[in-house]
Amino acid sequence: MGLVDLITRVDSICKKYEKYDLDKQREANISGDDDAFSRLYSSFESALETLLQKTEDFSSETNRAKAVAMNAEIRRTKARLLEGVPKLQRLALKKVKGLSHEELDVRNDLVLSLREKIEDLPEGSVPANGWTASTSYTNIRFDANLSDDRVDSEYFQRTEESDQFKQEHEMRRVKQDQGLDFIAEGLDTLKNMAQDINEELDRQEPLVDEIDSKIDRAATDLKSTNVRLKDTVTKLRSSRNFCIDITLLCILLGIAAFIYNSVK
Amino acid sequence: MSSDPEKMMSKADKMTKLTLTRWSADWRGATELYEQAANGFRASSKYEKAKVALEKASKGQEMQSSPWDAAKHMESAAALAQKLSIWNEVADFYRKASELYVECGRAQPASDALGKAARALEEVKPEDAIQLYTDACEILEEDGRDQMAFDLYRACASVYIKLEKFADAATFFLRLGVAADKCDATNSQCKAYLSAIIVYLYGHDLKQAEKCYNDCSQIDAFLKSDQNRTASRLLTAYNEGDIEEIKKVACSSTVNNLDHAIIKLARKLPTGDVTAVQMNAGDDLDEDDLT
Repeated sequence: MGLVDLITRVDSICKKYEKYDLDKQREANISGDDDAFSRLYSSFESALETLLQKTEDFSSETNRAKAVAMNAEIRRTKARLLEGVPKLQRLALKKVKGLSHEELDVRNDLVLSLREKIEDLPEGSVPANGWTASTSYTNIRFDANLSDDRVDSEYFQRTEESDQFKQEHEMRRVKQDQGLDFIAEGLDTLKNMAQDINEELDRQEPLVDEIDSKIDRAATDLKSTNVRLKDTVTKLRSSRNFCIDITLLCILLGIAAFIYNSVK
Repeated sequence: MSSDPEKMMSKADKMTKLTLTRWSADWRGATELYEQAANGFRASSKYEKAKVALEKASKGQEMQSSPWDAAKHMESAAALAQKLSIWNEVADFYRKASELYVECGRAQPASDALGKAARALEEVKPEDAIQLYTDACEILEEDGRDQMAFDLYRACASVYIKLEKFADAATFFLRLGVAADKCDATNSQCKAYLSAIIVYLYGHDLKQAEKCYNDCSQIDAFLKSDQNRTASRLLTAYNEGDIEEIKKVACSSTVNNLDHAIIKLARKLPTGDVTAVQMNAGDDLDEDDLT
């Protein structure tokens, strides 16, 4: 039989004899088989574990988009957990047979500590940049929501790393601002030049049109003159006509001379 | 033909004088002689005589009903007069040339002639220069070629600024604005208005500047422009007496795109720190009066 079949078979056998699996039973025991509270509590704890893991991944995440997505997910999970905590609290207060008073109090404390732990989860050390809507179209301000006092206070969990990160972030922001100012100046100059060029072109348009029409007229004049000149020159140069003229003239002169001689 | 320009001159003079033997002056021949004589004089650097020759040549052309050539000769005569620094002749010749050009129906060369005259007289007789500039602008406006007038307006305003007549300079900038409005040259228009406001501020006239700003804000094109923002920043800085802000605005790129003369004024702008503070004190007093 094939490998796949083997695997499916093994799986089904395992499932059948699960109750004989000691490790699993122990886990199930630990995870509170007797009441709902323990079960819910353990589920909360596991969720918290995964969330902590995620925050650690997040702080080491370099890809900004992924970081943002992670951040969002962390926040979502956190909100869900916080919602579930009251339910847990109610369960904790319910009396369950087989449990002493102290254990009941312990459970209450556990719930409260769980809640604190959830709330303490940092939502990420990079605050979102606030883009304020501007009334005047040029008043674009960045980082309006980020005020330094919030960052300095204990709003965020402070570690050495996060402090360094914050400083670096500040420095980079300052450099970015400088760069942007430089670009803005250059753009201003460009804009001014472009507008001046625009006006200059507007100014020169009718002049160029005038030149155009004048040159057209001159060109047509030249063409007609050329044609006439050509006609005249061909007429002159046409040697046949010329020779005929000369010979006829000579003949005339000869005849005149002959007549003159004969009359004399 | 004698190559001596003097002889040519005398010959041409004789041709134009009416005597018993000569009943009508021979302007054509005379003009030719005059032109040749002028060239001869110019070659030998006798500018005074060349100028006289050109004058007479121009007269000859006028008699022959060719105002264009006449105007051209007049301009050359005026240029020579400029070299010789005979200023009133410069103005007269250029004016005559301009009139002749107008006779030809060519407004642009006419105003160019007046412009050249004005530029020549800027240093020496600024009032005359201003008059010439104004006339040149009028000629262009009558012909409907406002766009060519921009440069003339700007030059005229800078002459006024040199004479420290700031109100007049600002008026000229506003006239520039009107001309620009007719041709839809919004950039020049806005720059003209901003220049006017700066000139008023330089002349310690905050009220006028504010009035000017309010008037200009009625105009759409100005309202939507960079220059509008710069002007409002400047005026608020003045009202608050904030010298740092004034200096910052004066060095901003919008101001750097204006005319050279205006940039110099803007750099010097908080003209006396006292004025800014005084304005402030004045405002305080008003508030007290109201309460």
